[in-house]
Amino acid sequence: MDTAFVIATIGRAFTAGTPLLLATLGEIIAERAGVMNLGIEGMMALGAVAGFGVSLESGSPWLGMLAAALAGISLSAIHAFVTIGMRAGQIVSGIALTMFGLGLSALIGKGYIGRPLQTPLHSITIPGLADLPFIGDILFRRDPIFYFAIIIAALIWIILYKTRWGIAIRSVGENPLAAETMGVDVAWVRVWCVLFGGALSGIAGGYLSIVYNPSWIEGMTAGRGWIVIALVIFSFWNPLRAVVAAFLFGGIDVMQFSLQSLGISPNLLRMFPYVATIVALLITSSSITRRHISAPEALGEPYQPR
Amino acid sequence: MRDRNSAISFVFVFTFIFVTAFTSVFAQENPTVAATASNQVIVKKIKAGFIYVGPVADFGWSYAHEQSRKALVASFPWLESAIVESVAESDCARVIDRLIVEEKCDVVFTTSFGYMNDTLKAAARYPDKSFLHCSGFKRAKNLGTYFAELYQLYYLNGLMAGALTKSGKIGYVAAHPTPEIVRHINALAIGLREVNPRARIDIKWLYSWYDPAKAREAAESLITEGCDVLAFTEDSPAVVQVGQEHTAKGKPVYTFSHYSPMQKYGEDSCVSGQLVDWNGLYEGILLQMYAGVWKADDRWWMLKEGAAKLGASPDQCINPKFVEPLKKAEIQDPVLGKVSVYDLIFKRVSQMSEPGVLFDPFTGPLKDQAGKERLKPGERADQNALWTIDWFIDNVDGTLPR
Repeated sequence: MDTAFVIATIGRAFTAGTPLLLATLGEIIAERAGVMNLGIEGMMALGAVAGFGVSLESGSPWLGMLAAALAGISLSAIHAFVTIGMRAGQIVSGIALTMFGLGLSALIGKGYIGRPLQTPLHSITIPGLADLPFIGDILFRRDPIFYFAIIIAALIWIILYKTRWGIAIRSVGENPLAAETMGVDVAWVRVWCVLFGGALSGIAGGYLSIVYNPSWIEGMTAGRGWIVIALVIFSFWNPLRAVVAAFLFGGIDVMQFSLQSLGISPNLLRMFPYVATIVALLITSSSITRRHISAPEALGEPYQPR
Repeated sequence: MRDRNSAISFVFVFTFIFVTAFTSVFAQENPTVAATASNQVIVKKIKAGFIYVGPVADFGWSYAHEQSRKALVASFPWLESAIVESVAESDCARVIDRLIVEEKCDVVFTTSFGYMNDTLKAAARYPDKSFLHCSGFKRAKNLGTYFAELYQLYYLNGLMAGALTKSGKIGYVAAHPTPEIVRHINALAIGLREVNPRARIDIKWLYSWYDPAKAREAAESLITEGCDVLAFTEDSPAVVQVGQEHTAKGKPVYTFSHYSPMQKYGEDSCVSGQLVDWNGLYEGILLQMYAGVWKADDRWWMLKEGAAKLGASPDQCINPKFVEPLKKAEIQDPVLGKVSVYDLIFKRVSQMSEPGVLFDPFTGPLKDQAGKERLKPGERADQNALWTIDWFIDNVDGTLPR
């Protein structure tokens, strides 16, 4: 195994992991506030088609990314209305959102089939650092959204654990009644967290159609929304662990083809994310660890103010 | 209160399911023609149902069939149609019933190999309707088969690959280990060997007909392993895009487009490719049905019939950027003597377009990977052998998963 091979493989793991990371971070924020959103696949798909369409028509990938975020926000607003406003079941609403998003994106995208994107988002070179041996190529010659995702991860960690907002978000997810007693507007916090999650899912979709595979093809999210749900559990609702987990899962996507030459079946690797998630679930539910790394206590429960 | 909530969410989900199911079937109605004609003569109409395995927007297999359907409906006023897309291979029987009973189709085209057995059963169940199964081999009195075969084009792409490769390693991104794809890979290998006897082909399997992300990763992984030419069978332009990205960064990777015109996804990377045209096949079958002379048979169309076309854009066989290097590359052919690869390609095209097909890539001597002689010198593989092919030529490195 030579250096060029290692550099290329790690680099591609970062690229494949970036959309996973963005959507995972969004879902972590939403779930930390107690709202599970299974509609990620749908929000990503709509973000992908909106991002692609706007980039193609306007010639600006940045406007495309903005449109992708807005698409994610508008879909998640439906989820927020149904689950927080109407207090309906989060799981049902999320699954409906996935189906709705996939269908709507296919409908909108009919005209974008077979049209290449002439203005994809180019990688940026960080002066000085990019010339470092080995890590220069891996870390400092990447697309801007990769850096954006890393920065967002750090920001979310700071917000969640070091600020009053973070305390409000986490308390709403753990014990909304107590939070409300302390003067936190539970519904308001939850709505903002769901919308933020939608924005990040939308950007993750835009990343797929603008950066990763600059084209629109129906169904291009290919089940990533479900991998993200698994990733949230696998990273124990922690944004920094999510960084490691997302790039690990991205690396699995990449490695399945490198390992094929060694006679290792790609099906084995493809099972890994789900097996790893089941293991993570077992860990979170064991009594010793439950206190520190388990799911937010009130996750999935509609909150009825008294 | 809780009950009311779950009732609301049930209504929501039910509505979504209903809307999704409803919108996935587009029935094309054309009532105006019938209305104007009714006071003169009774106009005979044919309603054709199409079942697709993927979304019609895949820019690959289902897209190509759908393009032909649209063209035919536009040109024949007596033709009506209904389509159902993204039908799982195990779900075909139900959809056939739907098309026959509810949509009142006279003929149903099932366009994926996995629909074969369900189509056969449906043909027995509805003896007065006609069925056509694409890419299968089971036929009945009212069930015909048809296929547009591309291996001749892969052979021609192989000639180009042999002339262009510098590393001598050709990568192939392959969907599923089926005879069709084994045929494609072997044809590519035969062309490659003719120009560049030492070059070899490596394969990555996707186990999916349609997955742009996997195709991208497989292509990237082949490039890291040293391949500088990529061909593929998968229904998206991902491989061409990967080639273009590497070429744009200064490391040329040549690609061959598959099924749809993908040159626009890789102006500097895409050399040529395989284009399919189902129009002729569908038109012939439907015109015969309209005239009442259709008989269930097998149609296996290639270059000569116009179902397969060389190229990656509608009006060019070879990307103009690569014409010069192909003209410069010369080889010694036992029959043609010293000939440029460019001339050889067009010689082969004209030979394979002759009514008698003067040349076929699968002509002996051919040895498989284990060194076993599969075709004796001068022997041509027949359609049966090609239809069930499960071995690789000796300049292919990958293995066939079993």
